[in-house]
Amino acid sequence: MLAKWIGLFSVIDFISAGMLVSVVAMNSLKRIDGCIKAYAANSWLLASMMGASAVYLSEPHLYAAAFYTIAVKCIGIPYVLKRVAKELKVTRETDPYVSGPVSTMASFALVGIVYSALSRGISVTGFAQNSLEVAVSIILVSLFTMMIRKKAITQVIGLLFMENGLFLAGFSLTRGMPTLVELGVLFDLFMGVLILGVFLSQIKKTFVSVDLDRLTNLKG
Amino acid sequence: MIFISGLCLFALATGLAAVAPERSLRYTYLLMFVGAVFAGAGSVLAVYAPPTAICVSSIIEYIPVSFAAGPLSGFFGLVLSAIAAPVSLYSAGYCPQGRTKAVLYGLFVLSLYALFYSADAVSFIIAWEAMSIFSYFLVISHTEDQESGRAGLVYSVMTHAGTALILAAFFAAYAVTGRFDFDGMRVGLAGSPEWIRSVIFCLSFLGFGMKAAIIPLHLWLPRAHPAAPSNVSALMSGIMVKAGIYGMLLMGFYVLGANVAWWGMVILVTGIICSVLGVLYVLMEHDIKRLLAYSSVENIGIILLGMGASALFASAGMRALAGLALAAAMFHVLNHAMFKGLLFMGAGAVHKATHTRNMEEMGGLLKRMPYTGLFFLIGCVSISALPPFNGFSSEWLTFQSLILGSQTPRIYMELATLLGGAALALTGGLAAASFIKAFGIPFLGQPRSAKAENADESNRPMILAMGIAAAACLALGLFPSGVLGLISKIPLSGLDQVSKAGVYPGMATRALLSPVNVAGGFAQIQPAGILAFMLAGLAALLVFLKIFWRRPKTVYRDSWDCGMQALTPRMQYTATAFSKPVRVVFKNIYMPKKEVSTVYALKPFFVSSMAYKSQIRPFFEEFLYRPALKAFDKLAMSAKRLQSGSLQLYLGYMLLTLLAMLVLWA
Repeated sequence: MLAKWIGLFSVIDFISAGMLVSVVAMNSLKRIDGCIKAYAANSWLLASMMGASAVYLSEPHLYAAAFYTIAVKCIGIPYVLKRVAKELKVTRETDPYVSGPVSTMASFALVGIVYSALSRGISVTGFAQNSLEVAVSIILVSLFTMMIRKKAITQVIGLLFMENGLFLAGFSLTRGMPTLVELGVLFDLFMGVLILGVFLSQIKKTFVSVDLDRLTNLKG
Repeated sequence: MIFISGLCLFALATGLAAVAPERSLRYTYLLMFVGAVFAGAGSVLAVYAPPTAICVSSIIEYIPVSFAAGPLSGFFGLVLSAIAAPVSLYSAGYCPQGRTKAVLYGLFVLSLYALFYSADAVSFIIAWEAMSIFSYFLVISHTEDQESGRAGLVYSVMTHAGTALILAAFFAAYAVTGRFDFDGMRVGLAGSPEWIRSVIFCLSFLGFGMKAAIIPLHLWLPRAHPAAPSNVSALMSGIMVKAGIYGMLLMGFYVLGANVAWWGMVILVTGIICSVLGVLYVLMEHDIKRLLAYSSVENIGIILLGMGASALFASAGMRALAGLALAAAMFHVLNHAMFKGLLFMGAGAVHKATHTRNMEEMGGLLKRMPYTGLFFLIGCVSISALPPFNGFSSEWLTFQSLILGSQTPRIYMELATLLGGAALALTGGLAAASFIKAFGIPFLGQPRSAKAENADESNRPMILAMGIAAAACLALGLFPSGVLGLISKIPLSGLDQVSKAGVYPGMATRALLSPVNVAGGFAQIQPAGILAFMLAGLAALLVFLKIFWRRPKTVYRDSWDCGMQALTPRMQYTATAFSKPVRVVFKNIYMPKKEVSTVYALKPFFVSSMAYKSQIRPFFEEFLYRPALKAFDKLAMSAKRLQSGSLQLYLGYMLLTLLAMLVLWA
């Protein structure tokens, strides 16, 4: 019954569209708080997509994957990020290389390129046939965000978005990776965020700033 | 069953070493000794038994990990056990402290067992990497040494380059056959075109050659082996470089069949280069462990001579001769493991007693360490290929098989094998010269330093271990037939011919070495007979002296004193002086540099001090590696222009690359 509805209302496509919106939103938001919220929203959408696919495909191990995703990406990582942001006293991106409206336009352009490029060569069939474009767009837009921002914590958020995109691509193309692999990736990610948090506070101590353009001084 | 229980015992000892109190570490080494003895006995049984799987499992679906006991595995398991048993005993006396080293040592030996008994490429690579990593840790474990960190770096870089090549060979074989197990590869590659087989051969020859330290890939060996503790150097030189030989036998001979003429030529020419250049560098070394390390390069060359000749004969369809040459090579694998292990143990004992590895600071140790000296002498005699010890047996067989190369139908094969024979003869002579130096300078004469003067005899486990290895050297030399019978059971090219009547009569039955039918007029030799003859001659001489020679009045003076007094140790023949003639003869290869600096009190007659410095130029480093490194540096510097140091720019590069790929490929 539920599975039928999911198919009928193309829930999966809606959710992936929501993920795309959240990444574009992140790209234009300047407040760190907003970026973290966008990431949490993106993760919730990813988790709900997993849940929906679990119902739709009746694959029990996807329930477990959705559960892990909620625990790590929706609750754990945003919490850690918020604490780090508070500790570092960064509230907003002060002067990015590219201004907000321009970067929003650029992200639209990126999404357009992705859609036009992927519409030609690759044809994906199956339950998530429209997810690949969304996944690649998420990866590229978040990479673009990382490129134009200066604060280290934004870079971390961009990286996390990229990982969400990869996760989306991985599980929508393969009907879910083995549980062990997913668990390993999530654990890696969580550890990565913790370590990055420590590093950021160390960088702050050393350079009195978390602006990454100061790192140019390190060049030999 | 015996093998498994031996292995379990060894693993138990390794585990115990991790938890046992520091004082009782020596007992875990003794347990390892027992385990290695059992594993050796089990390996001998494995040679005779039909191939059996030991354990099969899989880490991931579709990728099996399997271990099996077969004749080839059994033989190398025997070689490993034969050296690991005395070295474990030796370690009980050599390094009774040092928990980390004990655990690493145990893991290192276990990984070698796993390597020799693995039946497919996946388990092989896992064991191979484990072996490399444990030996790397052991190389850098000698913290008192500044050099060892650098040695470890060179070692790990080169060994990983070798592993990459081996992986490429395995994947190429997998791509053709779809199989990871070696039996499947063998069947699958039998009908494939020659160029594919040649590619796989070249990849595996270079990859395994890195581990076997063929010249010019030998750079890591003279650095890493001396840097490791001596018990580990004994294993590294005795058996770990043989893992490279094992890989070549496995991929080149077992899987690919080794029946292409130019493969044989490649192996043979490499063998010639390794043996001659290796021994030339042995002569110039004054660090006793580096000397032994270079000597491993030389012996690998001798083994390669046999293997190359075997491949040549096999390509010409001469199965019996191919079998003979390969049997000689494999026999030398065992023999070299024994005497090189013995020599490294001896060198370790000397190092422990004198706290130096420089031979110029030793001297007169025979009086202070009589047993160590005796066993070191036996090792030196064996490695110099003098009868009745084991080095003679295998080198003589190699030599005979190379000379019999004159029976091959092609002129280039004939020339190559004869050239190999000439190289082997030269190598033997130079090796004898270098080991006269290696024994004479440290052990004879007067002590050259206070360190040597205060040296003490080694403790009992060390002496016992060296004694076992020395006895094995003698036994293998006197009764080669048993081992040759063992080798004839291995299913490699023509080895089954080795003991067949009519081709090699008596080889497997009597203590007789004979390459071909005696009626055909070819040489045969009986090492035990030589020993009997030597003993009889000695006895006759003693009797003769007893009867006819009246003892003159004996005066005891210092060694090499010629009856004069007040000779100082500085007047003795030094290691540098001993090798001077060779340095002059081969000066085109060594390119020696010498530097004499004199400080005058009053020019030109009154000299207050003189300093003499002489060193040889490391040919391969200077003319092969350094230019390559320089070119690489240049390339890296030109790539540096891309690096602004700005993270955002790097991310931009990535974004642009991704976009370009997306647009171009999709």
